[in-house]
Amino acid sequence: MTGKAKLKTALTGYAFILPTFVFLIWFTYYPVYQALIGAFTDWDGFNAPRYIGLDNFVRLMSDEVLRQSTINALIWVVLSIVLAVVPPFLVAELIFQLKRERAQYIYRTLFVLPIVIPGIVTILLWRFLYQGEGAINQLLELIGLGSLQQLWLGDPNIALYSIILMGFPWISAFNLLIFYSGLQNISTEVLEAAKLEGATGWKRVWRIDIPSSFPQLRLIIILTLIGSLQNIVPPLIMTNGGPGYSTYVPILHMYNVSTVNGEFGYGMSIALVMFVVILLLTLVNMKLVKSES
Amino acid sequence: MITNKLAKSSAALIALGLVLSACGGNNAEEGQSASSAPASSGTASGTAGGASGAANGWKGTITMYAQVYTPNSKNIAGLKQQKALQEVASEYEAAHPGIKIEFVDEEFKDYTQTVRVKAAAGEMFDVFWGQWAELNNTFPKGIAEDLTPYFSQPNPYIPGKATWGEAMNATVVSETKSPDGKSYNINGDYVATAFFYNKDLFAKAGISQPPASWSELIETTKKLKDAGITAMSQAPDYDWFQRHFLSDFYAKEFEQIAGFDQSPGVSSLDQSVAVAKGMLNTSDPRFMGWWPMFKSLTDNWKPDYLSSEPGVVGSNARNDFLAGKTAIFYDGSWLPENAKDAKVSFELGSFNFPVLTQADTPYTTGTDVSGAVGGPNAAFQFAVATKQANASMKEAGKQAAVIDLLQFVGTPKNVERIVNEHGTFVPTWPDTKPAESMAELANQASNELKALGVGGSSPNLNKNMQRIFGLYLSGNIDIAKATSDVKKELDGAIKEYQSKNSVDLGKY
Repeated sequence: MTGKAKLKTALTGYAFILPTFVFLIWFTYYPVYQALIGAFTDWDGFNAPRYIGLDNFVRLMSDEVLRQSTINALIWVVLSIVLAVVPPFLVAELIFQLKRERAQYIYRTLFVLPIVIPGIVTILLWRFLYQGEGAINQLLELIGLGSLQQLWLGDPNIALYSIILMGFPWISAFNLLIFYSGLQNISTEVLEAAKLEGATGWKRVWRIDIPSSFPQLRLIIILTLIGSLQNIVPPLIMTNGGPGYSTYVPILHMYNVSTVNGEFGYGMSIALVMFVVILLLTLVNMKLVKSES
Repeated sequence: MITNKLAKSSAALIALGLVLSACGGNNAEEGQSASSAPASSGTASGTAGGASGAANGWKGTITMYAQVYTPNSKNIAGLKQQKALQEVASEYEAAHPGIKIEFVDEEFKDYTQTVRVKAAAGEMFDVFWGQWAELNNTFPKGIAEDLTPYFSQPNPYIPGKATWGEAMNATVVSETKSPDGKSYNINGDYVATAFFYNKDLFAKAGISQPPASWSELIETTKKLKDAGITAMSQAPDYDWFQRHFLSDFYAKEFEQIAGFDQSPGVSSLDQSVAVAKGMLNTSDPRFMGWWPMFKSLTDNWKPDYLSSEPGVVGSNARNDFLAGKTAIFYDGSWLPENAKDAKVSFELGSFNFPVLTQADTPYTTGTDVSGAVGGPNAAFQFAVATKQANASMKEAGKQAAVIDLLQFVGTPKNVERIVNEHGTFVPTWPDTKPAESMAELANQASNELKALGVGGSSPNLNKNMQRIFGLYLSGNIDIAKATSDVKKELDGAIKEYQSKNSVDLGKY
């Protein structure tokens, strides 16, 4: 192929991909740019924005609600990562250990099937379960543990954990499949060699399966980190950040100051800080959990 | 070949011309202020039917979002079929050929956000439901027309009055003005609140009469509790109850607080000045003085919702009451309709917020504040979109036509027929009578409005106060912590009010 023909082919390819990039820039990058600029303005979303320099960021520093929200978000991130990694990995491991492929298929399907239930339904269901006379308290009464009954969403000391821990048994179908596919990718030679060396049972899990699953682990940690920091729906629907500010998180604060108070400039400054924090945490995570290992 | 290129170029030029002309088509009046005063002629013609819209010859569709008064609604939950506003609209259409009124039949879960988004896009409804506090404090400034100039001119559809304002409730108009003295809506109805109760559950607990005093109310809830009946179960609305108690405790200073802006009624400016001066603030023991006595009542409630937001659990709590699981529910005058729709099996009773005595609290002035919670916060509150919030308003003559429609809808006769058909609210304009079903609660509306609160100072103040209130009532914080948190909120709200409205509160 001549240079001219190569150029023509390349240009054709770029022409095909161009519309996608145009829309990507228009609908994704441009709003991000607007948010970056808007963070330095006082803007109500309707009238023209007024440039106010770093005022929004100065306000951020003394915003007690944001401070409380950040602490809540950190708790949320840590627990979410544990729940996103441990139960799905254990279940993936159990399914992977099944000898019969058909059994593996059936269990996989059963665990993945709940993915068809919309997330909002799950949230509303758990709000119902957590009610004072809801199923959880009734169950506790039934099994003689009535003293453990709680106002799961009404007590500021436990409301945050109640929201984080909803969705028992915490088997994310997506994470399960990611781990499962990672385990499937371990070559049979490695597994057989490990068997010959006596690495069976938990030994194999610790020495072969977990190290081999580091790429999946890294992906899930990053996605969970981003997802949990951006997950506004459960606290909004279940408690709107209450009681007090016990379930408030930065994304909910951003939503409320923007759409309820009409302080879009301040909301954008919260978004900008969140963007920087998530980026830094992602970079740190990528550095710590190296796929090469 | 040349012909082909020429044709293509011509087509491109024509297309470009069309696009440019379309872009510039609506800009003829762009330079005009959205809040410009009304034309001196037209609306002020003084002759019935001499409408500015007709005079200007504008023809087209006017959109209106009328909340619970939406006629023939299919999409607003729980709304029975309303006809009155459609009849009014039809009469208007008949008198103004070429003008069509289209009602927005939609339920907005987050109306504030809907308004923001639609206004930002220049697609706001021509006439929209807007309560005074939101128009003055929450919605972006400049989305609603300043109607004040129209109030001081004749309404062609009210021949007996020299000005439109004379047909309205003067106190309501004054109380609902913005800090700079502007009125952004016409306000025709009033919501009343009361304690509603399940007569069957009262009988089961051996209670024959509804409570008549605060101590009797507490005693009643105790009796219900002792009988194994859930006395009350709801998130106590801070804004509502503060209005009851503060209106009583500060009754003697009402005129002083209401007069900071030199006009009757307690505006957001009055509230802010009172907060800044320490009157409606924690430095005055009366301000937090009602919290412990209110807690003595909520201690007999089911604790589930005490620390929750009314907006989050409100419907659950109401459903508990309608299902006969709880004995008392404090709610608005729409509850009897809700109970009818739910076909409740029990007999419904109601009693007003009791008049407090010195035995209840030393801060009381013994004032009847049963009507303090309601007020002009119902559904007949209509505003007109500005040209910035609604691009179609730039059409020559449309704004005048929309104002003309509002004048047609806003007559005592129409206010009465629209409000009374719904049967949940009370018409407030002089010469209007309430519906039969509202007769008992209407006396709240007939009292002079002397309600006090602090929520007008900042859009987020009431929400934050609600959070602190909930934590206190549920026993998670004590009164000292609550007081200190409330002080922080008030100080922050005042600071925000001053900066947002460029007002120096110190000069009052």
